[in-house]
Amino acid sequence: MTDTVQAGRRKFFDLARPSRQHLLGYILIAPAVLMVAAIIVWPLILAIDLSFQQVKIPRLGGASRPFSISNYTWLFSSQEFWLACWVTLKLVVIVTAGSVAVGLSTALLANNRFRGRTVARLGMALPWAVPEIIAVVIFAWMFDTSFGLFGWLAIQLGFADQMIPWVSSSTAAFWAVAITMVWKGFPFVSIMCLAGLQSIPSDYYAAAKVDGASVWQRFRWITMPLLMPVLGVTLVLTLLWVFRDFSIIKVLTGGGPLRSTQTLSIMTYDQAFQYHNFGRAAAVGVVTLVICIIASLLMLGRRSKSIY
Amino acid sequence: MKRSFAQSLALYATVIFTLAMILFPVYWLLVTALSTTNELYRLPPTFWPADPQWGIFARVWAAKPILLWLWNSMLAAVGSVALSMLVSVSAGYALSRYSMRGGATMGLFVLTAKMLPATLLVIPLFSIFSSFGLIGSLWTLVLAHSTMIIPFATWMLKGYFDTIPKELEQAAMVDGCSPIGAMVRVVLPIATPGLAATALYAFVLSWADYAYARTFLVNSPDNWTANLGITTMQGEYVTYWNDISAASVFIAVPIIAIYLFLERYLVGGLTAGAEK
Repeated sequence: MTDTVQAGRRKFFDLARPSRQHLLGYILIAPAVLMVAAIIVWPLILAIDLSFQQVKIPRLGGASRPFSISNYTWLFSSQEFWLACWVTLKLVVIVTAGSVAVGLSTALLANNRFRGRTVARLGMALPWAVPEIIAVVIFAWMFDTSFGLFGWLAIQLGFADQMIPWVSSSTAAFWAVAITMVWKGFPFVSIMCLAGLQSIPSDYYAAAKVDGASVWQRFRWITMPLLMPVLGVTLVLTLLWVFRDFSIIKVLTGGGPLRSTQTLSIMTYDQAFQYHNFGRAAAVGVVTLVICIIASLLMLGRRSKSIY
Repeated sequence: MKRSFAQSLALYATVIFTLAMILFPVYWLLVTALSTTNELYRLPPTFWPADPQWGIFARVWAAKPILLWLWNSMLAAVGSVALSMLVSVSAGYALSRYSMRGGATMGLFVLTAKMLPATLLVIPLFSIFSSFGLIGSLWTLVLAHSTMIIPFATWMLKGYFDTIPKELEQAAMVDGCSPIGAMVRVVLPIATPGLAATALYAFVLSWADYAYARTFLVNSPDNWTANLGITTMQGEYVTYWNDISAASVFIAVPIIAIYLFLERYLVGGLTAGAEK
């Protein structure tokens, strides 16, 4: 009698038994689920909760303020928010387009066979390894109003007749941010596209050549369609990066001048840590997250699985 | 495919020109560090200093606690990577080997986590950390960076484990290995390149952070990370561009070295996440 109980008990903990295999799976995944619940899900719920309270600086465990949608009504009626949306949209479109253009061309270039190709490939994607803050230091000096290289170049090339006020002009500051972000962002596109290009069998090109297809035709009808899945995912990841970027804009322009480079991300942060309106900040952040989710689902559609 | 001489020449010229354009900012960082103040504040710019000031590196190293900043960045990165890998390896393995309820939802969750703006998450994290009295401590970074690393690392590792045949563990278990033993002694050794790639990529992610460090550590100079320290050298009125450039070189070098020597692993990590 006791023997069978003992055996049964032993078997209960015998994780090798097929019927206990699932249990082992849950045990293995439990730490990650707990961690994620504690540092992502719970904070996210707190943030959503905050966005519905009129609160300046929240204390955990403090009395929760009554439910209110005033943060959202403030948001949708404030000019600042719509300006931030517009700035974000402009920046996302320009930086994504620029990164894809430069990234795809460098990938196509590095996909050729030539001596020193490994070194060239490393060099072309090097900006990826430069930390964002360091990239900002480099570009902030190149965009210096009095002695910056870019202002001087613009004069030499005839684009301007005096040094460009990168810091105080809205348009110039916006382009300074965009150029810095493209330099930092295109290597990712390049790396991904190159991996995609190398997975295209060379037989396809050989066959097309036999049939007399030109370089452009081969690119248009073989490279592009086969690269599209990778390019689509890369595009969305780049877009999300621009959408959420904080450090480049914050350190380069701080969102100024006159909020001309203030994206939704910067607005979220400044509402919280500069103006101490945590409730409003949470509302901006939640709206940003919702826009991010909708935009990427729309762009990827059924292929949204490929992103994770 | 044989190229004519002219075609080869055009190709090499394009490659060299493109490389020059892309790498110029990095070169400019070095030139700025090595120039004298006079050369910096003068137009036309000096493209190579007449007398390179190599001594600036020693001077900045002595004047600013760069070693401390690097050490803090290193601690935060090693801490968050270790913590994240610990939970992600077992979770990734479970997702790969056991069909579980909610396995598909996990994928959707990873997707959402990828979209989560740091500027949103930093708000509740700030309240949480301040009520636990953690503000100013490096632990804030270990936890905050884990929010970025765990979702992607779990998914990436699941992908690596998927490429390892199940039969290997089954064989080990037939030979008397426990399921955990099979995972630790059979699967993990085979997955080492995958583990290395994930950890390396996670390390770079953590090293690049500025938003969290700025928010949680700004009032504790002893715990400043490299990125945060550098930005404090940017003066409100005057910035000493040669000093800040020299300090930047110190901070960029570790990551650039990792990239140059271990690029294969890093690129494997980048593309594995998206090609499925």
